[in-house]
Amino acid sequence: MSAQSGRTVRMAYLVASVAGVVFFVVSVVLLGVLPTRALNADMRAMGPAKLPALTASEQRGRIVYAREGCAYCHTQQVRYVHADMTRFGAPTLAWETQFDFPHMWGTRRIGPDLAREGGTRPDDWQFAHLYAPRAVVPLSVMPSYASLFEGAANRPTNDGRALVAYLASLGRARELAAPEGEARAREACHCPDDEMAQMAFEMKELNAHPARARRTGAVPALPSAGDRAAGLQLYANHCAGCHGATGVGDGPGAGGVRPRPSNLSAHRYSTGRIAETLWNGVAGTSMPAWRDQPLDRIAALVAAVQSFSQSAALEEQAGLRTADDDRGARVYAANCAQCHGERGAGDGFSATSLAVAPTNFQKQQPLPSAALRALTSGIDGTSMAPWTTRLSDADITAVVHYVRSLYTGDAKEERR
Amino acid sequence: MNDTFRDTARPAALTIDAELVRAHGLAAIVTLLIAAAFGIVASLQLIDPGLTGDVVWLSWGRLRFAHTQGIMFAWLGNAFFAFLYHAVPILTGRSVTSRQLGRWLFGLWNFAVIMPGWMLVLAGVSQPLEWAEFPLVVDAVVVLALLLAIVQFLPPFFARGIEHLYVSSWYIIGALVFTALAYPMGNLVPELVPGASGAAFSGLWIHDAVGLYVTPLALAVIYFVIPASTRRPIYSHFLSMLGFWLLFFLYPLNGTHHYVFSVIPMSAQLTAIAASTLLGVDVIIVVANLLLSVRGSGVFPRDAGLRFVIMSTIFYLVVSVQGSLQAQMSINQAVHFTDWVIGHSHLAMLGFASFAAAGGLAHAWQRLPSARYNERAMRWAFWLMFVGVLVMVIDLTAAGLVESALWRSGAPWLDSVVAARPYWIVRSLSAIPIVAGFVALWLGLTTGPHADDLPRTATEAA
Repeated sequence: MSAQSGRTVRMAYLVASVAGVVFFVVSVVLLGVLPTRALNADMRAMGPAKLPALTASEQRGRIVYAREGCAYCHTQQVRYVHADMTRFGAPTLAWETQFDFPHMWGTRRIGPDLAREGGTRPDDWQFAHLYAPRAVVPLSVMPSYASLFEGAANRPTNDGRALVAYLASLGRARELAAPEGEARAREACHCPDDEMAQMAFEMKELNAHPARARRTGAVPALPSAGDRAAGLQLYANHCAGCHGATGVGDGPGAGGVRPRPSNLSAHRYSTGRIAETLWNGVAGTSMPAWRDQPLDRIAALVAAVQSFSQSAALEEQAGLRTADDDRGARVYAANCAQCHGERGAGDGFSATSLAVAPTNFQKQQPLPSAALRALTSGIDGTSMAPWTTRLSDADITAVVHYVRSLYTGDAKEERR
Repeated sequence: MNDTFRDTARPAALTIDAELVRAHGLAAIVTLLIAAAFGIVASLQLIDPGLTGDVVWLSWGRLRFAHTQGIMFAWLGNAFFAFLYHAVPILTGRSVTSRQLGRWLFGLWNFAVIMPGWMLVLAGVSQPLEWAEFPLVVDAVVVLALLLAIVQFLPPFFARGIEHLYVSSWYIIGALVFTALAYPMGNLVPELVPGASGAAFSGLWIHDAVGLYVTPLALAVIYFVIPASTRRPIYSHFLSMLGFWLLFFLYPLNGTHHYVFSVIPMSAQLTAIAASTLLGVDVIIVVANLLLSVRGSGVFPRDAGLRFVIMSTIFYLVVSVQGSLQAQMSINQAVHFTDWVIGHSHLAMLGFASFAAAGGLAHAWQRLPSARYNERAMRWAFWLMFVGVLVMVIDLTAAGLVESALWRSGAPWLDSVVAARPYWIVRSLSAIPIVAGFVALWLGLTTGPHADDLPRTATEAA
């Protein structure tokens, strides 16, 4: 190599070396610094004026979430794609993650996204699920985090409590900010010129998570006859964890949740009643919604659940005494109607203020033994208290018969 | 300038530090087996979640941290160091800076980065950032070790003037300098910058870890082993330099393609997508140059070192073109978050990088005085790893497509988990040939005749 060409090559390499460093700096500026500035501006313009930071407990839960690698199976980022939005809700805005040091967006999704987990499931469910995931979701592959508990799902350690507090905080800020916050953010974003930014506000519901319980909501019409055999298989895969293999409410996950899972064999349910429960979940309890299940599967589940109460019902019907309907009606009107409604439709004037909706006796008929147990012991975790101090044995027997007589099934529903 | 690469033209005084090559090489394979074990247990936990009971330090999340960090730092780091101790003196005609420094570096890397890193993440002290899970206190030691590595390996390159540098030398210089620059960005900045901005910086590092640390060192091995084994110059020195500079210009600009369809500004996403596309073109240039250099040697040549690096080159092409495609929005929206991406990263780290590292070890070992080398075991290692990686990547790619289809169909989430199960079983089974290959690699470097007895190396060692 001549000295001349050696110098040229040397110069070329020097220039390239400088360029290499420049490109690195450019990458940091283009993909790091400038986006950060843009995101900061976004956050100022679109975020709520005041945003509650995580509490100390939630912060501690965040550390547990981080160290256990939760973010490596559960993303915290709803992307601007329709498959994400229909399942998990509105796409994540920058301001929603402004307290995340470091971020936990994740790049792999084995379990569902958790960006909007807050309010989706009650704490009890979370505890039961963290303690023994397959007790609650039989087909789950999530690891058990029994080390966050002292031997039982309802005895979490401080770390366990903190983790669930953190989970409840996910998506909360966005939810609290709505609807004024949504309107403000929509105004501040560069829509309508930016199609993608618009998607962040397209969702009618911020949290589209199919497992989120709703108090009410129309249930689509089910296919007429559900396949009971298929339903029992579905039941084993999805429901038996809490409700137990035979529906008596004694599954491995039942101990940790409050109120306890319903004893499905002790009630006669109308088709509409089960369908509505599966579609909307039961607000205030650990019963999630199952809206993501296709309708034929829901119909199959209805058939399966109805089969649990059939044999027990026949047995008890045989031993029934005659009822004193007048007395029952009197006792009911004086003591029960304000919650359960005059005609037993669960629509008494106090009903809406209760965390767990009162039973609708028109669509759900308890076996005498179940009604008796509820009246004498109350139902833990709900507003149903024991009545033995206020009602005589004769009153209780009468009202047991009376509420059973209110059942109408789906055919007609009488409102007060 | 191909003439500057002459395996036979070593000055008589040149010393390759056999002790350090051997120490790093053996540490590489021991830690490879450990890191693989973490991954295998984690993969089995997806099939039987109760596998490890309530043993906290064996829970899935912590094992995953230990697996990926172990592969990156322990296996690849040690293997690359072993290669550098062999290659730098040959490339520069000079010894590395200091044997004593080398011992310190070995100790720091294995006993102040990897061991405490593993113990801390398993004990629950970590940060939830991909490819950056070791906690900050370990990060500080990593940066120190990287600086010491710069002091150890780079001065010999500058002694003769940069116009004489062979392309492997450039890759080595680039890797050491840019890793030291990029490392703090992925490990420290997201602790200081929240949420979406943190993710933007995190994305930079996720890609730089592969692009500025693993890839250049793997290519340095490939560019070194091919001419040294075939005894023919590289096809085009111009193409190799073009490929090198394009790589260093483009790789850092890829980061945000890990967060397409996020709230990170679209301009950054589009920049990254464009750079990813161009990077695919660059890789085609690099790979064409490499494959043209080995024409006539066959796809599976006799020498295990050459065989490993040729297959590594082919994996590099496939994984890079796949990466370019994955960055495109139409494909990204379907496969992101699925097992497809896990398949992709195994093709990169187990296919491309590990095959290059194994090739570098095999090559250096045969030229190590008094080292034992078992050619038959090395051939077994190649075929076992080759079959394993193919099964795993094809399986995970298929799993990703199934998951993606179920997610988009609106089916219940659990359906996608249930549907993935058979694929997860096959993935765990693919670990059998892979680990057998790793064991064969260990046997290849610890059994068989001593290198001095081999006729070919006996003449070279003089």
